[in-house]
Amino acid sequence: MKILVLVKQVPDTSEVKFNENGVMIREGLQSILNMFDQFAVEEALRIREKYGGEVSVMTLAPEQAKSALQKCLALGADKAYHISDRAFGGSDTLATSYALSLAIKKVGDFDLIMAGNQATDGDTGHIGPQVAQFLGIPHVSYVEKIENVEGDKVLVKSLLEDGYRMIEVKLPALLACIPPPNFEYSNPSMMGIVKAKNKPYVWLKADDIDGDKSRFGLNGSPTRVMKMYPPPKRSRGEVFTGNYNEAVKKIIDVLKEKKVIS
Amino acid sequence: MLDFTFTEEQEMIRESVRDFAQRKIAPIAMEMEKTKQIPEDVIQGMAELGLIAPTVSTKYGGQGFDAVTAGIIAEELSRADPTGSIPVFYLVQASWGHVFNKYGTEEAKQEILPNVTKGKWFLGIATTESDAGSDVLGTRTTIRKEGDHYIVNGEKMYISGVREAYTRGGGHITIAKQFPDRGAKGMTMFYLPLQQKGIIPTYVDDLGREGISTGGFTIDNVSIPKHYLVGEEGKGFYIVHEGYEYARGLIAVICAAAGLKSLERGEKYLKERKAFGLPLAKFEALQFRLAEHYTKLSFLRLGSYWALWTYDREGQKKATRFEVSKAIAMAKMFASEWSTQAIDEVMQWQGAFGYTRECTDQAAWRAIRSFAWAEGSKEIMRVIVARELLGKEYTAYK
Ligand SMILES: Cc1cc2nc3c(=O)[nH]c(=O)nc-3n(C[C@H](O)[C@H](O)[C@H](O)COP(=O)(O)OP(=O)(O)OC[C@H]3O[C@@H](n4cnc5c(N)ncnc54)[C@H](O)[C@@H]3O)c2cc1C
Ligand SMILES: Cc1cc2nc3c(=O)[nH]c(=O)nc-3n(C[C@H](O)[C@H](O)[C@H](O)COP(=O)(O)OP(=O)(O)OC[C@H]3O[C@@H](n4cnc5c(N)ncnc54)[C@H](O)[C@@H]3O)c2cc1C
Repeated sequence: MKILVLVKQVPDTSEVKFNENGVMIREGLQSILNMFDQFAVEEALRIREKYGGEVSVMTLAPEQAKSALQKCLALGADKAYHISDRAFGGSDTLATSYALSLAIKKVGDFDLIMAGNQATDGDTGHIGPQVAQFLGIPHVSYVEKIENVEGDKVLVKSLLEDGYRMIEVKLPALLACIPPPNFEYSNPSMMGIVKAKNKPYVWLKADDIDGDKSRFGLNGSPTRVMKMYPPPKRSRGEVFTGNYNEAVKKIIDVLKEKKVIS
Repeated sequence: MLDFTFTEEQEMIRESVRDFAQRKIAPIAMEMEKTKQIPEDVIQGMAELGLIAPTVSTKYGGQGFDAVTAGIIAEELSRADPTGSIPVFYLVQASWGHVFNKYGTEEAKQEILPNVTKGKWFLGIATTESDAGSDVLGTRTTIRKEGDHYIVNGEKMYISGVREAYTRGGGHITIAKQFPDRGAKGMTMFYLPLQQKGIIPTYVDDLGREGISTGGFTIDNVSIPKHYLVGEEGKGFYIVHEGYEYARGLIAVICAAAGLKSLERGEKYLKERKAFGLPLAKFEALQFRLAEHYTKLSFLRLGSYWALWTYDREGQKKATRFEVSKAIAMAKMFASEWSTQAIDEVMQWQGAFGYTRECTDQAAWRAIRSFAWAEGSKEIMRVIVARELLGKEYTAYK
């Protein structure tokens, strides 16, 4: 089984600060591997362990994202593809997924492509499904677990708002993955880190992937970001205190008053 | 010529260890003050990442890391564990694992080291006795050859990890006198498994690093197979110093890290706590102390890495044994003192709270204080540096 995982480096937003205009202060923020992608990589490695094969990782990003790919190799991935070229600067999700799909076609036949469901910075959740569309293969989003692989089919658990569904999908396919709430990510082992530097690391330029150059980068990006602002603060809900019976009675009164119940 | 950067690989190692240590160790560290042991899942997590005796060759389950890289791991563990328990658990095994890896017999290494790196056994060092610490030649424990094995008799005291080796398995690299009339050339080192007849452990109620035991053991006619010798007969005195030096370098890093981490907690407190209508951080008298301690400890940190780097250079034949001894002794000389002074200051800033057992920094103070003695006292560090400066002929005694 040949698996490719699409990964993105994102700013570590766990300790984000905003300036007085509500714009995120990017300075001093560390860059980390998108947690959704780390989950996808770890899930891919589990599949490899069970069914054999090879796990590759790919990113489209400036040179500094090397540390994210290196981390994937240290976690156990076999090979990395790093697409980096000025021509891709300013790509929106359409241009990004177009370029990724071209690179995927170029570098090999994968049985399974995995991605994070969303990136913690851009957070559009576009890339996975769009790449699948460009490649003409099926995709499933919100994949929390790959249950089984049999022949050319995978059985996956995909989350719904109030439950989940089990979906069988024919390979090749793309799975956009989301870590379960109890996901405990792994740290790369010392051995993994040492081995990573001898694993194949392939750089790709715009010229290396065949495609319509006018669809790369800013030129190929119809989306324009007009303005970024934090959502308006919601007022705090009312908290009913006092002993249990009193509080419940007060809540019932309010609900009646608002005609939620009668 | 000067380049104060770590390699890309070392940076990745730091990042991985830091994330692990902050997630898995920092939250439980203060609990060890009460439970008196390192949680098993932490030990197993360390083993899985390859953090136990990473100085051992890959052939025996280690990582083959050099001293600087071992120092990076020590630093991150120290930043996460103010009680000093896990840093001690780490540094003893990293240092003496290195020695065992270098001087142990093939048979013994295959038998023992994989169990150590997997986190099953503990590997310690036993040189100190009730009547002999700094003066290693004053050792009273004896070893004598008998047929194809050796017989050991004596007693060791103030030894780290006695309970760990006695209950988990493993043992201590031990020094004893084999040829009493040969002075420094009469000492022999060997591996002494603690789980065997003739070994009786004792424990001391020491001040800190509560998660790991300190104790001793009597050795009553214990038989040691030939392949447990660490280095040749009569070479023990020289080999033991290589191990001490490795440990001292790591200790210096650990002291710097613990002090700097304490100052970070202190900075936060200075900004939050108000007196006379102002945050404490506004008082210059306190600012100056912060600046001084931070500067001293930052130099200590640099000096420690420089000493470990010198250690690695000896392996590359670019530094002599003497240069290493001096560099390492310089790094350790003020390590405990400067670090405990900084931590003491941070306790002071916290007012009466600083004098309670709830305060994290007092645990760090008790842990770091031990390093003014452990693996060579701060006075002995001065003896070493002076000896290297003036020449052996000016040593006051033999
Ligand atoms: C310099 C720069 C300029 C930009 N300019 C614009 C712009 O002008 N207009 C605009 O709309 N956006 C712009 N972007 C944002 C960029 O288009 C998105 O960050 C990107 O397309 C991914 O979208 P997302 O973050 O929402 O990822 P999602 O779609 O939420 O990510 C889902 C998953 O897709 C995969 N993935 C996402 N991105 C990559 C990647 N690069 N390589 C490999 N896998 C990936 C990962 O598996 C990820 O978990 C810019 C970004 C950069 C860095
Ligand atoms: C918590 C803890 C854990 C330890 N773990 C271990 C372990 O795992 N294995 C092990 O073998 N040992 C261990 N030790 C022992 C440690 O190595 C010794 O304490 C140290 O070597 C000093 O020996 P001593 O205690 O016998 O003091 P002594 O040698 O008796 O010295 C007493 C004092 O005199 C000073 N002094 C001695 N000689 C001179 C001199 N020439 N000039 C000036 N001052 C001098 C010393 O510095 C010291 O302050 C540990 C100690 C502690 C506190």
